[in-house]
Amino acid sequence: MKKNANRIRWTARGIFALAIVSFLGFIQPDSPKINSKTSKETFSQSSEKKAAPMPLYGKWKSFTTKDGLPSDKIYCVRVDGDRVWAGTNHGLALLEDGAWKVFTEKDGLAHRGVLSIDVSPVTGDLWIGTMSGLSRYSGGRFETFTQLNSGLANDVIYSVFCDEKDVWAATGGGASKLDTYTGKWEIYTERNAPMHEPWTYNVCAGGGKVFIAAWGGGVIEWNKETKRFRDYTDPDGELEIDLFPNDGIVHDITTAVSYANDLLWVATYFGMSTYDGNQWKGYFDHDSGLASNFINFVKANGDVGWLCTDNGLSSFNGITWVTYKVLENKKGQVIINGNTDDEKILPASSAISHNFAMGVDFSGDVIWVATSKGLSRGEIVGYSDAATTRL
Amino acid sequence: MLIITLAAGRFFVHKWGAEHARYMAGGVDHPPNCISCHLYPQRDGFLAKMVNENYLSPLNGAVSPDGKKLYVVAQDADVVVVVDIPNSEAVSRIKTGRRPHSAKVSADGNTLYVTNQWANNIYVIDLPGGTVRDSIMTGGGPASMDFSPDGRFLFVANTYTHDISIIDLQENKEARRLYAGNFPTGVAVSPQSGFTYISSQRTVPVKFRTPPLTEITIIKTSGQRVAKRQYFKSAHIMENVAVTPQGDMAITTLVRPKNLVPSMQIERGWMINHGIGIVRSDGKMAQLLLDEPNAFYPDPYGIVIHPNGKYAYVSHSGADVVSIIDLDAVRALLDSASEEELNRYANHLGLSSLYVVKRIKTGSNPKGLAISPDGKYVFVMERMADHVTVIDTDKLEAVTNIDLGGPKKITVSRRGGQLFTNAGHTFHMQYSCYTCHPDGHEDGLTYDLVGTGRDLANVQTLRDLYGTAPFKWKGTNVSVYMQCGMRFSKFVTRTESFAPEDLDAVVAYIMRELTHPPNIHHMPGTALTEAQKRGKALFERIVTNDGREIPVKDRCTTCHNGPSYSNFKLANVGSAKETDDVIMFDAPNLNNVYESAPYLHDGSAQTLEEIWTIYGGDDNHGYVNDMTKDQLNDLVEYLKSLTAARFQTEKDDYQINKSEL
Repeated sequence: MKKNANRIRWTARGIFALAIVSFLGFIQPDSPKINSKTSKETFSQSSEKKAAPMPLYGKWKSFTTKDGLPSDKIYCVRVDGDRVWAGTNHGLALLEDGAWKVFTEKDGLAHRGVLSIDVSPVTGDLWIGTMSGLSRYSGGRFETFTQLNSGLANDVIYSVFCDEKDVWAATGGGASKLDTYTGKWEIYTERNAPMHEPWTYNVCAGGGKVFIAAWGGGVIEWNKETKRFRDYTDPDGELEIDLFPNDGIVHDITTAVSYANDLLWVATYFGMSTYDGNQWKGYFDHDSGLASNFINFVKANGDVGWLCTDNGLSSFNGITWVTYKVLENKKGQVIINGNTDDEKILPASSAISHNFAMGVDFSGDVIWVATSKGLSRGEIVGYSDAATTRL
Repeated sequence: MLIITLAAGRFFVHKWGAEHARYMAGGVDHPPNCISCHLYPQRDGFLAKMVNENYLSPLNGAVSPDGKKLYVVAQDADVVVVVDIPNSEAVSRIKTGRRPHSAKVSADGNTLYVTNQWANNIYVIDLPGGTVRDSIMTGGGPASMDFSPDGRFLFVANTYTHDISIIDLQENKEARRLYAGNFPTGVAVSPQSGFTYISSQRTVPVKFRTPPLTEITIIKTSGQRVAKRQYFKSAHIMENVAVTPQGDMAITTLVRPKNLVPSMQIERGWMINHGIGIVRSDGKMAQLLLDEPNAFYPDPYGIVIHPNGKYAYVSHSGADVVSIIDLDAVRALLDSASEEELNRYANHLGLSSLYVVKRIKTGSNPKGLAISPDGKYVFVMERMADHVTVIDTDKLEAVTNIDLGGPKKITVSRRGGQLFTNAGHTFHMQYSCYTCHPDGHEDGLTYDLVGTGRDLANVQTLRDLYGTAPFKWKGTNVSVYMQCGMRFSKFVTRTESFAPEDLDAVVAYIMRELTHPPNIHHMPGTALTEAQKRGKALFERIVTNDGREIPVKDRCTTCHNGPSYSNFKLANVGSAKETDDVIMFDAPNLNNVYESAPYLHDGSAQTLEEIWTIYGGDDNHGYVNDMTKDQLNDLVEYLKSLTAARFQTEKDDYQINKSEL
């Protein structure tokens, strides 16, 4: 009975969280934020680091239901070679050979609300986190794992991540790990890991470690070699402000993590943090080029971190910020180094579909952005240090 | 007086013995022969060794590129027998790991690869010397394998972990592992099509009481990714697969069980059929029967295709026959068929005469086939005869029978093996014991054996049955004699029952020879994992999470104890459905339970978890509802680790690569 109660409890929490996300997805800012232009220096995680010029994306094209997507509300996007997968609230969509194909429960998908997608680097199989189970798509067939038919912690899957032969799922009832070789499931919750509670939002891996964004618990790090956990929490506790800069993670309400080039990127609903294994850095919308403190998702692409916020898409390489927004007139705006003396605001003829961004992925010079009002495709049209760039 | 006493004693002992034998045989007269039950089925002891022999049991084979040597995998002897083909003579043996399954020879003829199914590895053997040069770890239970066209990679079907290891032969290590179907066994690489085909024994999980769907996994060979998963409907036991040289067809052997209709339909030819499944290069699929009206050819196992692409050879291990199939006739038939006609062909008993050009009689239990590179000879491994029959493909007849050098004496148990694997005792030879119990295990299906739509029965394993009576889910059979005697003929085969001496032999074979493989979740000589230890504590617990005492009847160990984790008693675990006439079922043995999905008496639980998440709501099947999800996971991990004690007490005899699978 307790198990059933727990199940209901966590399902309810998951639905509640999704409701918040969904509700907020309909809120579009009245106008682009007015920059406060506070004095600050640009910086990188390492003083010796010389960041390359930031790529600037343009030639945006939006995909919506008119193009064959099952919904305009796009939760996530994942590029797999020539194929682009989009997770929507009405099914999984595949762009292949110029046409969209939609998969739902009728095709074997666990649930039509697709919150996360990843591709196994070992097998090429697609793993799909949904609002009601984890699906594997392989060879044109779905297989679904749920909390009833497998060791999956909970059916609400906020994030799925393939790390070699392991598949991690951040769920409403803890982080689950499936060893695809042995079929063994493991669950990490507050019972066996330094979590505040079992609600986990995102997971990534890198540098021999797995990082879990735990709701209210900061970042949980799992060392794959020692098989031990440690946590990173906000030194300011439950305060909504950052008392001392760069003293740790900016907030315990973490929403996403991403790791690349020895740097961990952490998204929260109250700002962004990076961690190089030695030093934390915090970033906020009032003192950096970050579009908003309300960050839904982060993905590192090489040295550049991409922040999907409720007020546009920001990118940052440790020195330069570039933010993409759509204006009310549907034109675009690219803000370089917002909130600094170097700020440049460039008009753009095209824009991302919506400022409420929820996912991002890359393929060569092409970027894909999941937003609450369509899926956007852009491509590199120049660089931040270029004298002229046609946006 | 003494004489009278002895006579009287003998009379009463004989009378008691006759009654005992009658009881154990299920109420029919059976000659009271003590050694039938108390010696022949024994595995251990001096007398058991005296009356039994160590057979070779050839399963598969490979021919050297020059066509001069045949390497025969002898499954029960852990050796490869080297046969000199020109002289038709077994000339040497090469020691392998435990329970070898298949062999492949490299294109230069210098290396022999052997899968060791119970050791989860591949031996790399130098030829001609026969020295084991290396051992390559695979997934669990490696079976068939095939080379990539460039010879760089080896694709291996891992039966026990349901996946495919792709071995890099330059590094001699696993490069990647892909999901396969359920119990994959056959592998064939098609250089022409660019795809690799993997056949499976069992259906993937399907909705309760719906036809089986058995996967053929299609891999893009160059990219090493699964390109497509295709399913043969109402078919399973797809033991092997072969591809045509033209690349236009991949052909798998298959069995078509009619498990959704009453088993008594055997008299209408509806119980089980046998044939081939075809995947064409355009992805279209077809099933064709190799049976004929009133004449069945059960348990197709091996398949090879002549280098000219015109003929396929299929061994019928349950009928001691090899069928020769005209592939041009098959192509013509399929080319002209509509989709509706193809569906009909899958059940059509009258078609095989169009494409089966000849049936060639073999020795007992023909299994794997190998064909010489020039296509002149097909070699048939006769598992229960320790011989190899050689078929001349020009003459289309058996020309030689090679003795591999196994024991000449046919023991009672061996005789039982020959009966177990042969369909001679069923109506029109529709199926053998092996058909529903492949590899002595079970086929993962639920049958309507009684024939009334009631008491549906999930097939149970026959492995390690000794000392686990009673049998049947209802526990009504006090012995395997009873299970395989009258009941067998009355409900299943619809023929006369086994003669007493044959019944003795079958029982001896089942009890003595059929064993679980080593547990891949708890390897011999290894300790329980931390999760398994936690699960063990839950399995053995007597109080709930909040400290309340669990009633004895609701503890796991009450019903699942002892070496087989069963108390051999009936219990109501709340699993009875409306179709059941009883509510109490025999506590099943739990050793190697991970390889026996689906679960419960009617197979309604697809996974171990479902036993409690879906069917354990009232705490009838142990007290579990206070458990958290991670505790249930631990319990499942422990259940998966349960293994026969002998695997934990034997010396490290399995040469198992102890790395994590």
